[in-house]
Amino acid sequence: MIGSSHRHPRQKLRETLKSAFDFDPADPLFGLTRDELRGPKLSRRAVLRLMAAAGLLTMTDLLAACAAPPPPATTGEEAAPQAAAPTHPGGELRAGWAGTGEIRTLDPAQINQVLQFQITSNVLGGLTHINPDLTAEGDLAVNWDVSEDGLEWIFHLREGVTFHNGDPFTADDVVFTFNRSKDPEQSIHSRVLANIEDIQKVDDMTVKLILSKPQASLLVKTLERSSGRAMTIVNKRALEEMGTDQYGLTPVGTGPFKVVEHQLGQGVVLERFENYYDPERPKLDRVVITPIPEPEPLAAALEAGDIHLIGGNAPAAELIDRFEANPDLVVSQITGPGFQALWMNPHREPYVVKDFNKSVEELKQENGFKVRLAIAKAIDRDDLIKRALFGRGQPAFGSVNPAMRFFFDTAINDSSEQRFDLAAAQQLLADAGFPNGEGFPPLKLMVTPAGKREGEILVDILKQNLNIDVELDIKDFPVMIDLFDSMDFDMLRIGSGGDYDPDDALVDWMQTSSKFNGPNRPEDMPFGYFSDAEVDDLVEQERVERDLDRRKELVQKANKITSDKVAAAFLFHPLDILVYRKEVTYPDVSRIPGLVDLDRVTIES
Amino acid sequence: MTRYLVRRTIFAVIVIWAVATLVFFMLRAVPGDPFRAMMADVDPQAADELRRKFGLDQPMYIQYFLWLGRTLQGDLGVSIYGSNVAVSRIIMEAFPRTLSLAGLAFVISLVLAITAGIISAIRKNSALDHGITFLAFLGLSMPDFWLGILLIIVFAVNLHWLPAIGYAPLSKGFWPWFSHLILPAVAAGTPFSAIIARMTRSAMLEVLKSDYIKVARAKGLTEQTVIFGHALKNALIPVVTVMGIAFALLMSGAVIVENVFAIKGLGRVLIQGILNRDYPVVQGAILVVSVIFVFTNLLVDVLYTVIDPRIRYEG
Repeated sequence: MIGSSHRHPRQKLRETLKSAFDFDPADPLFGLTRDELRGPKLSRRAVLRLMAAAGLLTMTDLLAACAAPPPPATTGEEAAPQAAAPTHPGGELRAGWAGTGEIRTLDPAQINQVLQFQITSNVLGGLTHINPDLTAEGDLAVNWDVSEDGLEWIFHLREGVTFHNGDPFTADDVVFTFNRSKDPEQSIHSRVLANIEDIQKVDDMTVKLILSKPQASLLVKTLERSSGRAMTIVNKRALEEMGTDQYGLTPVGTGPFKVVEHQLGQGVVLERFENYYDPERPKLDRVVITPIPEPEPLAAALEAGDIHLIGGNAPAAELIDRFEANPDLVVSQITGPGFQALWMNPHREPYVVKDFNKSVEELKQENGFKVRLAIAKAIDRDDLIKRALFGRGQPAFGSVNPAMRFFFDTAINDSSEQRFDLAAAQQLLADAGFPNGEGFPPLKLMVTPAGKREGEILVDILKQNLNIDVELDIKDFPVMIDLFDSMDFDMLRIGSGGDYDPDDALVDWMQTSSKFNGPNRPEDMPFGYFSDAEVDDLVEQERVERDLDRRKELVQKANKITSDKVAAAFLFHPLDILVYRKEVTYPDVSRIPGLVDLDRVTIES
Repeated sequence: MTRYLVRRTIFAVIVIWAVATLVFFMLRAVPGDPFRAMMADVDPQAADELRRKFGLDQPMYIQYFLWLGRTLQGDLGVSIYGSNVAVSRIIMEAFPRTLSLAGLAFVISLVLAITAGIISAIRKNSALDHGITFLAFLGLSMPDFWLGILLIIVFAVNLHWLPAIGYAPLSKGFWPWFSHLILPAVAAGTPFSAIIARMTRSAMLEVLKSDYIKVARAKGLTEQTVIFGHALKNALIPVVTVMGIAFALLMSGAVIVENVFAIKGLGRVLIQGILNRDYPVVQGAILVVSVIFVFTNLLVDVLYTVIDPRIRYEG
C-alpha cells in the first residue's frame, strides 16, 4: 500500500505543515509576505501555503513524499549524495511508452494526453516547475515579486538561457507564448489563461502578469511547464520556420533534452542539450522513446532489456505483479490523482430518479433510487480492486481523490451510503420489486475495449451479489464519450485522471452544468446523470472560498452528497506506477506523479 | 495487350473512386465525433471551434466535393487529430515500414512455401510430406499475435539474439533493419506461407499427373528438368493468384503483427485513424490500400501471360 514504507514521522515537517494552513483566508497573498513570495525559490513554507491554497496538499501525502522511500534494494549502500556522482555519466536510455501507438503531438498548445507532456517536460521549459518534495522552483523564471493586492506579478527571467536552435530566451518569448495560447484557434488551453488579463514585457528579462483576481494556483499550476501546457514556452522563429505541424513533432524549447528525430508513430529520439542552463543536467546522452501499444511485447521488451523504463499510459494491471517479482526491475507506486465510476442513467428503468432534490431518506422511498443504491452497495470495492487492478488502487466513494490530500474526506469510506453491504443491497433490490434479481430488466454496461476485463469483473460481481444480468457493450472511446454526452446509455464506466484540485472533481463532474454532465442530452431531459441544487450551490461557494478550512468543509459536503445520492457508483482511485530496470537510477527528486522527468536520471552502462 | 491494360487501368480508377466515395460517406455515418474524443479533457465547446476550422460544420455534399477536388489535386488533407500533420506525410512515413515488412514476409513465405510445396508433391505421402503438411496446418492455425509473442520470448527475451520490438529504417544499415524485421516478417508470413505451400502441393500433384509430364519423362528428361522446367511453371498459375492476394493483404497492413512489434505501418495508421475518427487519415490510407489492391491484381493478371504464354488478353 501507499506510504507503508514511509513510517518515519518528521516532527519539524508536521509543524511546518500545520502552519501552512494557518493564515488569514482573506489575504490575497495567502498569508505570505511579499518577500516570501519572491523567487528564485520559494521556501518550503511558502510553497506549502500556496499549494494548500490551491488545494494541492494534505499532511499524509506530504509525509509520504518527504520521507524518502528506500532506494531500490541493491543501491542501499551506494545511496551516495548526488554530488559524488559524475555530473555527466552519459549513456542511452530507451523508454517504452505504454498503451499508445503514437506520440501524435509535442506542441504544448495541442497536447491533450499525459503521455505527451511527459515528453515535453524534458524538452520544453516554463516559468516554474514543481518538484515531488513539494518545492516549486523557478524554471525559466529566476525570481519574482508580487503586488500587495496579489494582482500584479513581476517575473525576472533567467539570464543566458538559449533555445535548442540558439535563440536567446527573452521576455518576448513569454509574451509570444501567452498570445498564442490564449487564442482558441491556436491552442486548446485558452481557458486556462482566463484569469490572466495581460502579460507585458517590462524589459528583455522582465515580464509583468496582470490577473483579474488573486489566484493561488498561478505558480504551481498555470505557469507550470509540463502539466500546465498553456504557458510552456515555445520558440517563435522555430514555429514560423517549421510550421505548426512540424513543430508538433520536433518542438524547439529550452529544456534539458532536444528532439533530434521524430519518426511519426515510430518514436522520438532526444539528445542531451549541451547549453542547458544547468550544466549539471541532464545526465544522459540520449533518450529513445518508442510507443508500444500491446502489453505483452511491452513486458518482453523491458525484461529483455530492449527498453529500460516504461512511461506513457499506466502499464496493464496484470503485468505489475510480474514486474515486482522480477529482480531486474524496480516498481515505484504512489497515490494517483483520479477516480473511476459506474454511471447509471437516471432517465432509464429500472433506476429512474426524476429529481434528486430530496433528502436521502425521501429518495430511499423511491424504487428507482433503491435500485441505484442497491447496485452501488453491492459492489465490493476491495474485491474489484483485487481482481481488476491486482490490488493497485484505493476504494472510491466520490470524485474527490486522495491525491487532493487536504480536501480528501478520509471518513467517507465508512460514512457513505454507498459502502459495501451485501445484505442491505439485496434487501433494497427486493424492496424495489426485484427479490433476488427476479424480473430485473437486462441492462447494458458500456466500456471501451481497454476496459473489457474490468467490465467483465463488474458484470460478474453484479451477477453474484444481486443475481442481475448485465451485458457488456464495448465501444471505441470516441463513440462512448458521444453516447455519454448525449445520455444514451444504461450503465457506463468512465472516470478521470490528473485531478489535483477539488474543482477538477466537482466543477467538471458534479454540477448540473458540468462539462461531462450530459452536455448533448435531448432537450426534454431536464438534467444529465445527476443534478442537485445543494451540490451546485456548495460547489459555487467552494470555488471562490479563500478560507481553506471552510473550503474543505464545502468540498467534502458536496462530495458526500454526490456519494449518498449515488450520482454514480464510485469504484476506485488508481495508483501512479513507474517501472524501470535496475540499471536505471531514478532519483526521488524526479518522482512527480504522472511525469517522467529524465534530467536527473542516470543509467549504468 | 496495350488496349487491355488501358481498359483495366480506367476500370481500376473507377473502382478506386467508388471505394473512396463509399468510405467517405460510411465514415461520417459511423457514430463518434473526432473532436469530442480529442478534447475529452478540455471543453466540449472548444470542439466547435475545430469543427469549423476543418470544415466539418459544412453540409456533407459540400464536404464531399471539397474533398474530391483536393484529392484529385493530390492533396489528402491534414490529420485532424493532434498536430495537423499532412496525411500524405503520415502515409509516406508508414509506407516504407509496411513495404519492408510485407516484402520480407512475402519473400520468406514464398521461398519456404514453394520449396515445401514442391518437396511435398514429389515425395507425396512420405514422412517428409506429412511433416510439411503438419507444419503447414500448424502455421495456418497459429494466430499471428501469439506466434509473434512466442518469437519475441524465444529470440529476444531468452536468447537475446534479436530486438523485441520496433523498427529501424534501411538507412540505418542492413542489420538493424533486418534484425528488427525478421521476427515480425516470420509472424506475418507464416499463415500465407502455409496456404501457398498447400496450394503449390496440390497444383503440382495435378500437373504431375498430366500427359505432357508423362511424355517429358518418356523422352528421358531428367527429373529436375521435368519438375522445374515443365511442371512448376504450369502449377504456378493458381499459386500466383494466391500470392497476389497475400502480397496485397500484407501491404494493406498486417495490423496485428504491427501492433505486437510496435511498427507503425499502414495497417496501424488505418486502425488508429478509425479509432480516433480521423477522417482524412482513414480516407487517405484506404485510398492507398485500394490502389495497392487493384494494381496488385492487375499485375497478377499480367504475370499470367508471362508464366503461361497461351494466356492472351484482348482489348
